[in-house]
Amino acid sequence: MAARAYPDKDLPMRPNIASAEIQLPAVRDYEQVDREISGTLRPTLGWFVLLAIAVLFFLWGAATWTYQIYWGLGNAGYQPPVMWGVYIICFVFWVGIGHAGTLISAILYLFRAGFRTTIYRCAEAMTVFAVMTAGLFPIIHLGRPWKFFWLIPYPNWRLLWPQFKSPLVWDVFAILTYLTISATFLYIGLIPDIATLRDRERNPYRKQILAVLSFGWRNSDEEWRHFTRAYLFLAAFSTPLVLSVHSVVSFDFAMALTPGWHATIFPPYFVAGAIFSGIGMVFTIIIPIRKFFGLRHYVTLNHLDAASKLCLFTSMIVGCAYVMEFFVAWYSGNAVEQNYFWNRVFGQWWWAAWIMLICNMILPLSLFSQRLRRNTIWLFFLSLTINLGMWFERFVIVVPSLSHEYEPWQWTSYTPSWVDISILVGSFGWFFMWFLLFIKQLPVIPISEIKEIVPPKMRRTHGTPAPGGAH
Amino acid sequence: MQGVLGVFRELDAACDAIRTLRQERVNKIHAYTPAPRHELEDAFGHPKSPVRRFTLIGGFLGATFGYWIAIWCSSYWPLVVGGKAIKSWVPYTIYGFELMVLIGGLSTVFGMFALARIPRLVTTVGYDPRFSQGEFGVFAEAPQEKLRDIEETMRRAGAVEVSGVR
Repeated sequence: MAARAYPDKDLPMRPNIASAEIQLPAVRDYEQVDREISGTLRPTLGWFVLLAIAVLFFLWGAATWTYQIYWGLGNAGYQPPVMWGVYIICFVFWVGIGHAGTLISAILYLFRAGFRTTIYRCAEAMTVFAVMTAGLFPIIHLGRPWKFFWLIPYPNWRLLWPQFKSPLVWDVFAILTYLTISATFLYIGLIPDIATLRDRERNPYRKQILAVLSFGWRNSDEEWRHFTRAYLFLAAFSTPLVLSVHSVVSFDFAMALTPGWHATIFPPYFVAGAIFSGIGMVFTIIIPIRKFFGLRHYVTLNHLDAASKLCLFTSMIVGCAYVMEFFVAWYSGNAVEQNYFWNRVFGQWWWAAWIMLICNMILPLSLFSQRLRRNTIWLFFLSLTINLGMWFERFVIVVPSLSHEYEPWQWTSYTPSWVDISILVGSFGWFFMWFLLFIKQLPVIPISEIKEIVPPKMRRTHGTPAPGGAH
Repeated sequence: MQGVLGVFRELDAACDAIRTLRQERVNKIHAYTPAPRHELEDAFGHPKSPVRRFTLIGGFLGATFGYWIAIWCSSYWPLVVGGKAIKSWVPYTIYGFELMVLIGGLSTVFGMFALARIPRLVTTVGYDPRFSQGEFGVFAEAPQEKLRDIEETMRRAGAVEVSGVR
């Protein structure tokens, strides 16, 4: 019998967001989804080892920060006038990492991109932990970190208020909003999955905890009706938010009259760079997870292929922004600006600029090859180079500008101290500690959205939805 | 609350049961499904969730508060910076926007919780752990005299298990 080109007319054909243009042929029924995804939550020796390493790095960073608080900020590698260094670079880097999570979970949700379904939970969790990490850096950068709350407008006995025209106060509002909304979006999506875990759990104590965490969710039609609508509106709110947050971060630079910073291109340039770096981190995380958790039939090569195209696209936007920066400096006729950009690539910081250009502009062009887009070893290696390149992009923005301003007597150098490097390493420990704890407590693949893709059992065999989950 | 709970292995059987019960003028019907399915939405014919009203009101209040706090604080402590106006609406749009998203997003969640009646602190009548895994449930509330008819309807639609719940 020939295959039907279209399903029967009596089937309502409204492909939903989770199932659009995606197939999971090796996932057959709901029981398999529950069994395999909840099976990833069993701790393994390898996981304990990785967690121990992450905690060790985190403790080393925390101890170093304590040392810096005790002995003062002079222990960081600041050298006037370079008074922004590794901490501000890390702040921008980690906020950027978070952006891909919101792009994948919210923007691709609105665009009905099916490949997001199996990777968005990882990306969302990554967003929350990356923003938690980023938020620490402005506080670490403060000489008196215990006074950080002065940036928040609260009634106080001195009747003092923050300067609302300052980009630093804009940052506080943007980052706190981003953290709150990202965490909310992650948790709301988790509620039905926690309910599934609750119903499968046999240990009465764990069951009780999961019952509280799932808010008594019971999968009723009324709950789903409001849930899907609320999720849609949260995605709609998160979409402009992701664009606004890194624009606001870019204003920290663009509002200053410093060579290389004072450019209107900064907001879109920062947003594209943030999404690009975040996709790099998604690959760094998802490729080992799909291998070691046995989830290759959920995160298929088709998913990685589609995400690679997104990576290539954002890389080209970033590359275009790099080239435009040079063009703007040349076209401006401003000698200081021209001198600065010459210095960036052929002067004092040439090595950092070329790491940035090679990792972010040249190597990602390999993704034009479908064979490489489907080669997980290459993708993993490329993701590491993207992470490195994007860290150095922020280095190239921050340090060369401050060390090469208007007057030659201001020109200086900058070398991070062991305190800077320790806190940088500690931030990776902090991020991966939370992420590793997350992946063994809650499902990294969204159970309920995968069930939307898998065709449900039907009594009328002719009514079985077509592969791809049209229903 | 008394009624009949039917457990279905097949989605279309559950949808048939809901449609037939609605034709028989059974008005209080709840369905349980492991994932949101459009087939069930169509069987119920519910209007769209009003959660968007919470979003709209929260977003509007958030934007208003964002502009207000920046303008009020600047007026209270009128420090001229860089020759800019004390009440500079352009930078204050950042506060208006961020608080619109923050309050609007949290109101949406509040609306969802209020409309879906969660958190629930007690076990719900009619719920079974199988409904979060692979099976579909239909629970129909009805007076004593209609329970037998409802049981029969569910069996005819294809329920694998039918039980009276009170």
